[in-house]
Amino acid sequence: MAAAVATPTAALAHAEASHGGGLVAGFLHPISGLDHAVAMVAVGLWGAVLGPPALWVLPVAFPMVMAFGGLLGLLGVPMPGVEIGIAVSGLVMGLMVLLEFRPPLAAAVLLVATFALFHGYAHGAELPPGGNALLYSLAFVVATGLLHLLGILLGEVRRWPGGRLGVRAAGAGVALVGFWFLRRALL
Amino acid sequence: MNTLAALARPPLLVQPLAHLVPTGLGPWGDGMARLVLQPTDLLLVLALVLLAAQAEGPCAERLPLLLPLAWLLGGLGGFSLAAELPWMLPCTIAVTALGLLVTLGVRWRARIVLPGAAGLALLFGLAAGSNLAGHAGGLAALAGEAVAIAVLTTLLLLPLAPPRRRWLELGLRVIGSWITATGLLMLGWLVRHPQGW
Repeated sequence: MAAAVATPTAALAHAEASHGGGLVAGFLHPISGLDHAVAMVAVGLWGAVLGPPALWVLPVAFPMVMAFGGLLGLLGVPMPGVEIGIAVSGLVMGLMVLLEFRPPLAAAVLLVATFALFHGYAHGAELPPGGNALLYSLAFVVATGLLHLLGILLGEVRRWPGGRLGVRAAGAGVALVGFWFLRRALL
Repeated sequence: MNTLAALARPPLLVQPLAHLVPTGLGPWGDGMARLVLQPTDLLLVLALVLLAAQAEGPCAERLPLLLPLAWLLGGLGGFSLAAELPWMLPCTIAVTALGLLVTLGVRWRARIVLPGAAGLALLFGLAAGSNLAGHAGGLAALAGEAVAIAVLTTLLLLPLAPPRRRWLELGLRVIGSWITATGLLMLGWLVRHPQGW
């Protein structure tokens, strides 16, 4: 992961402009973009920090709003600052986990949904034609959901002695990755 | 990371599988495979199953019989149509809407879910029939697809309905959100690339 952070060559929320159909391509797309992946994990982590109902409301809201963002991207609706929005999502979500910030549920959902819009837009704008577009979309959404689940499982480590510190450290890591991408997007 | 990106490159682009893919198992087997190989129909059936699992009353008991029968009836009607019906866009819209209903987690009544499910199965069975009409053994393929729907519906509803445990209830809603998200992405893709309908 450290090597990937140290040697990025392009915005990684969308690994290749030529991504097309197929389960494998769709499944690997979110995982192969570090800025996207850490933000997805952070959604689960923050859900675990907040506890029920945010634990499941955030991972339910994110893919739907993300897909709506994807729809906007596919339709060519202009959205400025997408790369910056994606980077800020990692930074802010990481900070939320690090600081164990607990806003009201509606505010948490609003924040996560806003970030989801940027992530979805970036992916949607690059979903190319292909007969397997549905499989691609399905695998993409499932991979995103599994990244949320990974975050939730990591967040559940809080129940163990010292786990809380580990989760906060993971949040700090996500924030650092977000900061790295933000710096790159602004330069 | 580069390896992942290389793996994530697209496989061979194929045409939407509106028709039959030869499985070597004859028209019956081709029809059964059609459901699995055609994700839009598969998602439609899955969404209806989840909706029935959440619903009140005898939905879960009746859907495994009602859904394939309605599909079969619609398909038989479709054989008499002169032209193939467009199915991709309406089916995607239906999948998206059904996924959203599952996500909301409302316990719908059987008198709403069952007629709705039967209506959708009739409609998309009609489209399936119109697509299969030109195939040799199309009738057997349609019957195979109906059987596949019955098997899938039964196998899924047995463990899912009713979702008594809290985690299962939430799991259904999460899957509903995934179906909605997939449908939304697909809708955008269909609008952007109308040749894929």
